[in-house]
Amino acid sequence: MNAVDFILAGMLAAATPMLLAALGEMVVERSGVLNLGLEGMMALGAALGFITTYTYQSHALGFLAAGLGGAGLSLLFALIVLGFVANQVAAGLAIGILGTGLSALFGKSFESLTISGLPKLALPLLSDLPVVGVLFVQDAVVWLTIALALAIWATMNHSKLGLIIRAVGENPHAARAIGFRVLPIRCAAIGFGGALAGIAGAYASTVYTPLWADGMIAGRGWIALALVVFGTWQTGRVVFGAFLFGALSLGELTTQAAGVNIPSQLLACVPYIVTILMLAVISSNRRRMRLNTIASLGQPFEK
Amino acid sequence: MTQTRRSFLKTSLAASTAMALPIPAFAQDGVLKVALIVPSPAADVGWSHTLELGTAALQAEYGDKIKVTLLENIAEGPDGDRIMNKTVADGNTFLILGSFGYMNGGLKLAKAHPEVSILHASGYETAPNFSPFGARYYQGTYLMGMAAASLSKSKKLGCVGAFAIPELITSINAFTLGAQAVDPAIEVSVVWVNSWFDPASEQEAAKALLSQGCDVVFSNAQDTPSVVAACEEAGAYVFNLNSSMKTYAPKKYLGVVGTDWAPYFKASVAAHLAGTFAGASAWLGMADKCVFVADWNPDIAPDTVAKIEAVHATLLDGSFSPFTGPLTNQDGAEAVAAGVTLGDDAILSMDWHVKGVTTPLPK
Repeated sequence: MNAVDFILAGMLAAATPMLLAALGEMVVERSGVLNLGLEGMMALGAALGFITTYTYQSHALGFLAAGLGGAGLSLLFALIVLGFVANQVAAGLAIGILGTGLSALFGKSFESLTISGLPKLALPLLSDLPVVGVLFVQDAVVWLTIALALAIWATMNHSKLGLIIRAVGENPHAARAIGFRVLPIRCAAIGFGGALAGIAGAYASTVYTPLWADGMIAGRGWIALALVVFGTWQTGRVVFGAFLFGALSLGELTTQAAGVNIPSQLLACVPYIVTILMLAVISSNRRRMRLNTIASLGQPFEK
Repeated sequence: MTQTRRSFLKTSLAASTAMALPIPAFAQDGVLKVALIVPSPAADVGWSHTLELGTAALQAEYGDKIKVTLLENIAEGPDGDRIMNKTVADGNTFLILGSFGYMNGGLKLAKAHPEVSILHASGYETAPNFSPFGARYYQGTYLMGMAAASLSKSKKLGCVGAFAIPELITSINAFTLGAQAVDPAIEVSVVWVNSWFDPASEQEAAKALLSQGCDVVFSNAQDTPSVVAACEEAGAYVFNLNSSMKTYAPKKYLGVVGTDWAPYFKASVAAHLAGTFAGASAWLGMADKCVFVADWNPDIAPDTVAKIEAVHATLLDGSFSPFTGPLTNQDGAEAVAAGVTLGDDAILSMDWHVKGVTTPLPK
């Protein structure tokens, strides 16, 4: 197995935790709500997912618990920002800290335990291709995440539901005037985003690195947030950004292992710099950028 | 409302000032209060765990004459300073600070409270009641290098490192030298993850090394079994520092370079109680019964075991140091002349790799 194989085989899985969380956050932000608590919701999902998987020996149950946990925490956020019309930035940060704290609390007695991950599934035909074949041998969650990305893209751009969510995000007052219930729609979007963040955390703790350790999300929630913004809320760009970031972060490590003479601290920055640059270049068209930006993002809505 | 809050503040302020006043080494009830402060969550394995075992030995020795408080997951910096001040205010007179980053706050605290004795992990500052301590891991990693070289088929060894600091660099150099003592053709690749704690990146780093053909991996300063578990799954031998992770790699666990802090903690507490505690740097090795190697893999051939045991004996009696010349650095230049043994200061500030480490050292 050489360096190229290593990057191709690992990049999709490396990107999956960020991608799942980013897809959820994208829907939340499209509905006009900014939830900065992603890191905490991922951490809570990671802890609950690990505990459940460890206890019941079932990854499916683990993902279910993580999704419910993430959704539960995000609904608390929804109560604060939609119900009490609080500042979204402050509430999101507070929820994030709460989630990280809860994950440490619940995970205390599971610290440093390990479980086994999920088996890899090879796509027939594609996985037999030369060179890129290894790209098509992934665990089920990676495939489901890609399918989910397609579904979200189709929903947001080509369905009535997507149109409603976008309308609520662009101009909640207009949306309300034509009969859409802004708060329930936003609340549902927040819950959906929270569930995906929880599942993203569970993927990190039960499949990608199948162990629980407090703090193991290590900033991936923030990267997911950045991916959404730099991907200008477009599904395709968010997916591209996540996979690019995954490939580059593995590339950085292989470059070191191969003994290339570049300081590791500089290499460690490369994934961040290149991902931002690439997404910035893609989104450099000012007019399109303005069109994509969600008009009422982060603004509280009162009837 | 304001009135009550102000008066509450007044009383609590008075209370904390009173508690901060100097108190004798023994609190009134004759119980020594010891606090152990660590930066990571204390788990069943890892660095914090070995310190916890050290304090458990204190508890066993002194019984109800001692009360140990464990404060885990304390961030270095202002938060750590605040918490260690509070522990002293709570009557703890013997502090064990489990991370480098507590140094400045701890030193300030030591100067303000001469009645408190402080042990500080892996620092370099010393005060009359402030002692830095560390382990000579390199003695153990040298032996691991010998075992690794004898088992490696690809003749390429790997190391996942946290940060490129002298303590980790010396471990890697000794590992390489030990391997070369068995097979001079051995090469070592290093991947720095530039984080003390990121299990996902650590595991990716281990896989990157394995994809380059490394078949024995050194998990250098990872507190979770991230690297160990990844290597077991991939079928590569792996070893780590501090506490055994054999349960995470039942087949491919090469061994552990362990640390036992009990003798040092016991001696320090005895000195503190006798009033003879003096701040001094304690860099402890095999001869001090601090560093040890254990849980050797049964795959290691008997003749290699014999060789390792012979070197182990010379490390124990102090007649051998891995950093004895002639040593060549990565650029091929002479780093240590023949017959010269590096002193502690030179080892503690090591910022170069020996020949055979293929990854350039980040500067």
